[in-house]
Amino acid sequence: EALLPAPQNISILSTNMKHFLTWNPVIIHGETVRYSVEFQGEYERDYANESWIPISECSLTTATLCNVTEDISAPVAYRLCVRAQVGATRSPWGALQGFFNRATTSLTPPLLKVVADGYHLLVELEDLGPACQFHVLYWQKGQDSKVQQKVMKEVSSVAHLDTMEAGAEYCVKAQTHVEAINRSSSFSPTQCVRAQGDTSMWLV
Amino acid sequence: TAGNKIFHFGACRVSMSMTEIRAGFTAIKTNIQSRDPIRSLSILSHPHSLHKVKSPDRCCITHHLFDFYVDKVFKHCKTEDSFVNRKISSIANSFLSLRRKLRQCHEQNNCVCGEESTEKLKQILANYEGLNVTSAAMKSLGELDILLDWME
Repeated sequence: EALLPAPQNISILSTNMKHFLTWNPVIIHGETVRYSVEFQGEYERDYANESWIPISECSLTTATLCNVTEDISAPVAYRLCVRAQVGATRSPWGALQGFFNRATTSLTPPLLKVVADGYHLLVELEDLGPACQFHVLYWQKGQDSKVQQKVMKEVSSVAHLDTMEAGAEYCVKAQTHVEAINRSSSFSPTQCVRAQGDTSMWLV
Repeated sequence: TAGNKIFHFGACRVSMSMTEIRAGFTAIKTNIQSRDPIRSLSILSHPHSLHKVKSPDRCCITHHLFDFYVDKVFKHCKTEDSFVNRKISSIANSFLSLRRKLRQCHEQNNCVCGEESTEKLKQILANYEGLNVTSAAMKSLGELDILLDWME
């Protein structure tokens, strides 16, 4: 019986607390190769005889990618492995090198859209998923010492930040924050908008 | 999101989040509790509720209950349902992390076991050992919200 090689180049892509296991395809001409993924947390290693738990969504899949976000759901070190299968022939398990801890996820600043709606300073933020909240900083241009912060846990479509002075320019930037790992991304580029009305009006 | 909160267990103060454990438990609660045929018995609340425990004893009881669940409960709750097994794994691994935090209080001597907590823990173990291990483990897991509610 021909030996089926284990999948190679197994790695984790983790961004903003969404974690994907990926691997190189195993090529067997004329055959459909399927893959199965399993995971093991610290509990399984230390208290459950080093058992592994299958991820049903990635059992006998033809994809070379598996969303493991739901299973990497505790602040501990995990191991992950994948094997190939053609018919009844199974490859050895290929394992992710080392451990994966979700605290190492890479965090990106959110896409930001700042709108001046008359005198209202509004912001629209990219929804990065349930694990992410946002720290939004905003200030009137030229008054950099009076920066205000708003923590946005739920990303509704548009959020009201402030009521602006007529004709004044306001700037906004935001960062992603994940409480579960107590880390934040860098800040987004700053965006500035001007409120309606003209400051000279006040001089009349 | 996983909101960290400061928990006060007597003199022990720990920043923890129960959000993910509660979410994991809520997802399988009905399934787990349906596997517990003995409704008239309780592991955690018989004969007295956890709510009767005095503040100085809270840390000791919480610490030992974490040990109880890690050492005696989760490993005996394997089911034929992959989804349930994965959620139990999530809860169990989260418990390990919480236990590590509580251990700090133990090491700082802020987690002393008084007579009352020792007695309460004995009672819980007696309730557990009064059933066969799978039933006892499944019942204990089904009562996890009693522990979570009491802690919060």
